[in-house]
Amino acid sequence: MSILEVKNLKKIYSTRFGGNKVEALKNVNFSVEEGEFVAILGESGSGKTTLLNILAALDRPTSGNVLLEGKDFSKIKESDVAKFRRDNLGFVFQEFNLLDTFSIEDNIYLPLVLAGKSHYEMSVKLKPIAERLQITNLLKKYPYEVSGGQKQRAAVARAMITDPRLILADEPTGALDSRSSDELLRLFCDVNRQGQTILMVTHSVKAASVASRVLFIKDGEVFHQIYKGEDSSEQLYQKISDTLTMLESGGER
Amino acid sequence: MKTLFFPRLAINGIKNNKKLYFPYILSCIGMVMMFYIIHSLSYSPLLREVRGGSSIEAVLTLGKFVIAVFGLLFLFYTNSFLVKKRYKEFGLYNILGMDKHSISRIILCESVTVSLVGLVCGIGLGIGLSKLAELGLLNAIEKEIDYRFTVKAEAVLFTVLIFGIIFLLLTVKSLIQVRRLKPLQLLKSENAGEKPIKANWVFALLGVIILGVAYYIAVSIKTPLSALLAFFIAVIMVIIATYLLFMSGSVALCKILQKNKKYYYKKQHFISVSSMTYRMKRNGAGLASICILSTMVLVMLSSTTSLYFGKNDSLNARFTRNTEFSIDVQSIDNLTEEKCRIIRKKYEDVFKDNQFTPKNVYEYRCSSITGKINKNKININVSDDSIVNYDDIRMIYFISIEDYNKIMGKNLCLKAGQAYLCAYRCTYNDKSIDIDGLKLNIVKILDDFIDIGESKYIISPSLMFVIPDYETLRPLDNMVDISGYKALSNEYYYGYDYDTDDETATDIFRKQVETIDTLDFIKNDGGYGYSAGCIAEEKDDFYTTFGGMFFLGIMLSVLFIFAATMIIYYKQLSEGYEDKSRFDIMQKVGMTKQDIKKSINSQILTVFFAPLIFAGLHLGFAFPLVWKILQLFNLSNLKFIILVTVGAYLCFGIFYAIIYKITAKVYYSIVAN
Repeated sequence: MSILEVKNLKKIYSTRFGGNKVEALKNVNFSVEEGEFVAILGESGSGKTTLLNILAALDRPTSGNVLLEGKDFSKIKESDVAKFRRDNLGFVFQEFNLLDTFSIEDNIYLPLVLAGKSHYEMSVKLKPIAERLQITNLLKKYPYEVSGGQKQRAAVARAMITDPRLILADEPTGALDSRSSDELLRLFCDVNRQGQTILMVTHSVKAASVASRVLFIKDGEVFHQIYKGEDSSEQLYQKISDTLTMLESGGER
Repeated sequence: MKTLFFPRLAINGIKNNKKLYFPYILSCIGMVMMFYIIHSLSYSPLLREVRGGSSIEAVLTLGKFVIAVFGLLFLFYTNSFLVKKRYKEFGLYNILGMDKHSISRIILCESVTVSLVGLVCGIGLGIGLSKLAELGLLNAIEKEIDYRFTVKAEAVLFTVLIFGIIFLLLTVKSLIQVRRLKPLQLLKSENAGEKPIKANWVFALLGVIILGVAYYIAVSIKTPLSALLAFFIAVIMVIIATYLLFMSGSVALCKILQKNKKYYYKKQHFISVSSMTYRMKRNGAGLASICILSTMVLVMLSSTTSLYFGKNDSLNARFTRNTEFSIDVQSIDNLTEEKCRIIRKKYEDVFKDNQFTPKNVYEYRCSSITGKINKNKININVSDDSIVNYDDIRMIYFISIEDYNKIMGKNLCLKAGQAYLCAYRCTYNDKSIDIDGLKLNIVKILDDFIDIGESKYIISPSLMFVIPDYETLRPLDNMVDISGYKALSNEYYYGYDYDTDDETATDIFRKQVETIDTLDFIKNDGGYGYSAGCIAEEKDDFYTTFGGMFFLGIMLSVLFIFAATMIIYYKQLSEGYEDKSRFDIMQKVGMTKQDIKKSINSQILTVFFAPLIFAGLHLGFAFPLVWKILQLFNLSNLKFIILVTVGAYLCFGIFYAIIYKITAKVYYSIVAN
């Protein structure tokens, strides 16, 4: 069954007195199956950040529905949204969004502390994740003291520690050098292979090519998708590039 | 067009940074206004006319000085906030191709604008409010109110001069800061991550120890005289300790809390504790300053208020009777019952001539001497070069058994070489005493003695002896003290109360002083002298001095509170900008808006009220000292002074809470946007 369903999603931004209206999302429909690694590929201005904000329940759509495991986002009370987000979603951001007042360890614990877990429970949970992400010896350091790649891995650990139903990643490689990007993408594949569902929004073909399915978004609409199937990442990369070229030339038709 | 370019940029800069500039301009206006008011008051013709006006002038001059120095420091402090915040803007101008010379011109234009607004509005408001302040002052010193309104050009010019210099210094400081501007660094400066904080355990521990010692000194002081030196030591120690505790101690405390995993990893503590570490690191010094400022305000407010409302107590304690005469004669040979009678006759003649009925007439003879005590020996020749420990100085009074029995209505008797003793503000346990050769055996310690007014307002403790007769003092009669004066002074005291109006009483008092001057045997006595006083006459001096201090206390408190407000406001503002991104992240990670608000609230509350709580603690430990010093002014109503002190603290607390509400609002509006 689909873990996430997006139906007829529409988002219109208007100035306060209803003057100019900007249609960020026209009519978005797609679904994500359990264990999938979906990449949403689009240029800046294509509406992908708006889409992600709605999926993260940080923003509400003008019309349409988002269902996580059949539960409609619009039915969740405003006061429960934060808890819902904490329990079901994990986030990885372009700018890492680690708090500089916390050590790496405490940054990772943050969502669990908010959920009221005991320190013992948290440390038990952190141990395997930290080992898998190779950040065990960084735990006592502060964000100020580690590299971008290490920060992003810490952010992934923070997203994973709550065992979320879905990890939402927003341009996770955007602020990383190519080596760290490769490492991070490999990590995502790893995590996905162990059953974690991931939805990644990106404008990087390279990043999209590691996913199991790529959705193309443009001008607020999803209008194409490619399954990886048995292809290698390199093959998928080629396919995506071809599609983009076709789209661009097709756009001028 | 070109000439207006810089002024326009400057004005726009001020307009666009309203949140920063408005309070700053307000502080400038406030400082100028306060200075003008105090300055013009010290020149007020009305005050010149009142009796005791000169003492008020001295108090106001002190206030003027305090305001000028404080204004300089405070404006420097707030100005640095401004410049820091605007660095980014200037860095951008620099990158866009504006050279530093031009930036300096913008700053110059801004400074001139702010200074002009500050001076014009400050003096304008000052002129308007100075009359109100004058009325307040006249009311405080219980003088007739006069509605004449004067503006002294001299006062205006002097204010312009002093604050002109202060503003000039501020401008120079900003210009130097801009010279050092490094644009790239500036543009990035706000994004630089914060270094992890390490607690400085040594400083934290030192702070606790110093504070403990200072508190111990404060509460363990016994005699008011040695208190003055100890007071300053304790004050300096408390200031140092406050800074150490706020800067290092608070961080150390947060670290200890973080080590306690059960406590730390709780939703309500986790974010607050870790953020507090950073907050305290950044704000420790500012909070310590607020704490000390608050303590100063509280001590000043409570003591001047106590003095003001206790002025009648003080006055009455100073005078055993409403009108008093004290005539000193050279030798005990002149201290006889017969002469006492002659003097009394003179006073009574004046009463008779003027049909004046005195009440509670009180008279006594007594001899006194000052010396340094060492076990059971009193040394009269206290040399100047030996380090004098004021705690060892004793006032020694002698009265004959005959006089004592008469006044106290008792029937005691003594043999030669014996004495009764009453110790006041000290204890004496020996069975005998040796006063530079005069040996006395103490038969008994008395609980009460005749009322000697002097002993109450002289700070040193007293030993009061009842001796067989004044002839006993013969060995001391010819002794001279270190400066060559006769050591023993012999006194006739005569005092009475009255219920007529002050003018009549003063008139009688003056007449009596004149008749005493005509007494031959007194005139011919080489060491003759007298002191006389009348409440009706001295009241003015008391009222103006205490009223003036009260008035200045209130004025300075307003000023300090105003300053504390501004410091807190700027703290909140800069905090808000820094915390904004942090709260964005927390929201994304799953914190609700309510959680965030709660966490912010608890942090701000701690930051805000820690100084107030510490100020209360300081005040509490300073109280015994303040109480002892107030006792020097003959205030004796402890309950009343406690009430005043607690009241001052509560008033201050309420005011503080209002400031908190206002600034917290500004903070939320920044963070929430």
